[in-house]
Amino acid sequence: MEESYAQALWKVIQAGTPAHKAVQGLTETLRAHGRISLSPRIAKAFARIAERESAHIGAVLTVAREKDQHHAHTKVVKMLADMGVEVKDLKTEVDDTLIGGWRLEGRGTLIDASYKKHLLDIFSSVTGA
Amino acid sequence: MDSSAIEKIIKEIEQFTPSHESAHVGRVTQVGDGVVAIDGLSKAVMSEIVIFEEGKGKKLSDAMQQQGELYGLILNLEEDGVRATILGDSARVSEGMTVKSTGKVLSVPSGEELLGRVVNALGEPVDGKGPFKNTTMMPVERQSYGVIDRKHVSVPLQTGIKAIDALIPVGRGQRELIIGDRGTGKTTVAIDAIINQRNEPEATRPICIYVAIGQKESKTARLVQQLREEGAMDYTIVVDAPASAPAALLFLAPFSGVAIGEYFMDKGRDVLIIYDDLSKQATAYRQLSLLLRRPPGREAYPGDIFYLHSRLLERAARLSEEKGGGSITALPIIETQEGDVSAYIPTNVISITDGQMFLTTDLFNKGIRPAIDVGISVSRVGGDAQTKAMKGVAGGLKLELAQFRDLEAFMQFASDLDKATADRIASGQRMVEVLKQKNGAPIPMEKQVAALFAANNKFFLDVPVNKVSETEVQFVAFLDAQYKTTLAEIKKTGLLSDDSKKAITTAMGEFRLAHPEVFTAAK
Repeated sequence: MEESYAQALWKVIQAGTPAHKAVQGLTETLRAHGRISLSPRIAKAFARIAERESAHIGAVLTVAREKDQHHAHTKVVKMLADMGVEVKDLKTEVDDTLIGGWRLEGRGTLIDASYKKHLLDIFSSVTGA
Repeated sequence: MDSSAIEKIIKEIEQFTPSHESAHVGRVTQVGDGVVAIDGLSKAVMSEIVIFEEGKGKKLSDAMQQQGELYGLILNLEEDGVRATILGDSARVSEGMTVKSTGKVLSVPSGEELLGRVVNALGEPVDGKGPFKNTTMMPVERQSYGVIDRKHVSVPLQTGIKAIDALIPVGRGQRELIIGDRGTGKTTVAIDAIINQRNEPEATRPICIYVAIGQKESKTARLVQQLREEGAMDYTIVVDAPASAPAALLFLAPFSGVAIGEYFMDKGRDVLIIYDDLSKQATAYRQLSLLLRRPPGREAYPGDIFYLHSRLLERAARLSEEKGGGSITALPIIETQEGDVSAYIPTNVISITDGQMFLTTDLFNKGIRPAIDVGISVSRVGGDAQTKAMKGVAGGLKLELAQFRDLEAFMQFASDLDKATADRIASGQRMVEVLKQKNGAPIPMEKQVAALFAANNKFFLDVPVNKVSETEVQFVAFLDAQYKTTLAEIKKTGLLSDDSKKAITTAMGEFRLAHPEVFTAAK
């Protein structure tokens, strides 16, 4: 139930209605239907939608060490363009479990060029795991 | 680590070329009860296999410790994501986990290598005998063959059970339902049918596939052991989806079984597949469907529960010569509650199959085993597949048994009955005894024919009712020892010639002379 309300609120705001107006309208509707107690859950569902949608816009570049960032950036520029992600929307994270290389994830696409992935591929081809 | 393994690793590393292939991914937003909601994967297709990426954030050593890949199967395509079922331990999936699309629909390995092996619903070996090396992947969901590619059922599939082969014959390519309450011997009938295939010539012997759905592991282990002891595992594959497996695997197991069977059918071989049992598969599918939030229908089963079974059983077929002439014979099992065949799932499967053998608790408790109620059991197409010899001896059997059942109620007034009725009852009682059979002891067709020929010719009429079964076994053993050529001729030709009839009649006389102590019942 809360998912549907949150979805509707998101669509109304996306369509250009000012946020405060949309929220006010929703609150009035909920009150009229005796469902005002759903408000906190609708807010949480809305936050989830917002998070999901923002993930659809940007991309995350993960590197093993901070010093690898520059090298990885240069490697992924073309890929970002193919994915339709602007460089300003690229977030960079550090994950030392990658050992080396980089990993780009965004817009429903994953490109994993980390050493860890390559080593795991070798491990599985050798062991048949 | 030995030097050969090290060399192999070095070779692999030298030959390794890192790929930067992009994968289509989504993210787990919700997980519970074996079902996950995945955000993204907008290009996913139904029944596609996805891989849960467990290694993210884990150290290399930890990632290497994982027990193989964890797969999911997409079952719902929704507006802003997909819902999939986890084909393994759902505790390994967490919210936020990346899910990779594979672009492949679920397939299982099949091939000669699987014979004698026990696999799970994903076709992975679970018998500790190591991985498969040379197999062909077969899609779990596949369109069944159309009318043009099929041929009518005309070759018998001998179950080795007299009551079935004589009265409810099964042909290769047929779907014959085994239905009954729990503990009535449904699995025994199916297992006996598998064991009996050892009597078939190797060239035409069907490959047997036993699909255990929601069974206790101990029961499956016992059955495998029995099949092994009888030498039946050489041509049998067991697909095991135990009661402890996730509902998704219980739902998939029959489809995996038939996919494995299709490999052999496509190669022109005959296959016998047992689904033990489809009631449990339906229950598992109901569970999945409810968790996937599909609208519930009658008895809370989803709307496509009929399609679930019809698309599975339609894959049993006898192919035309152009398609290789292979076949899949399906013996699905359905468990009823209190003998209620009018429940939802039993009626569905009855309507899909080409007949049913109905096993009842009453008969079982009376000691009539197999407890098949021949009055309400039917085989709609099997008659065409019966050998002429069997047809000849089984012709009047059903009628005789039906008349006996009508007269059975009068048995308590035995002293007041006229001679014709008393004779009919006496004959019927003995016929019931002749049709009794111990489990795990299937009888080849030629011996069945000989025993039924003798019974039709009132051979057992002078034998006390409680000794008929024993005498019949002895008589068959006598034939086996003294009239081997006659039995071999019946087996070879499938006919009961006049010479064979004469020989069996002579044997009846000889046996009677040799065992006068048995023929003591007053007429």
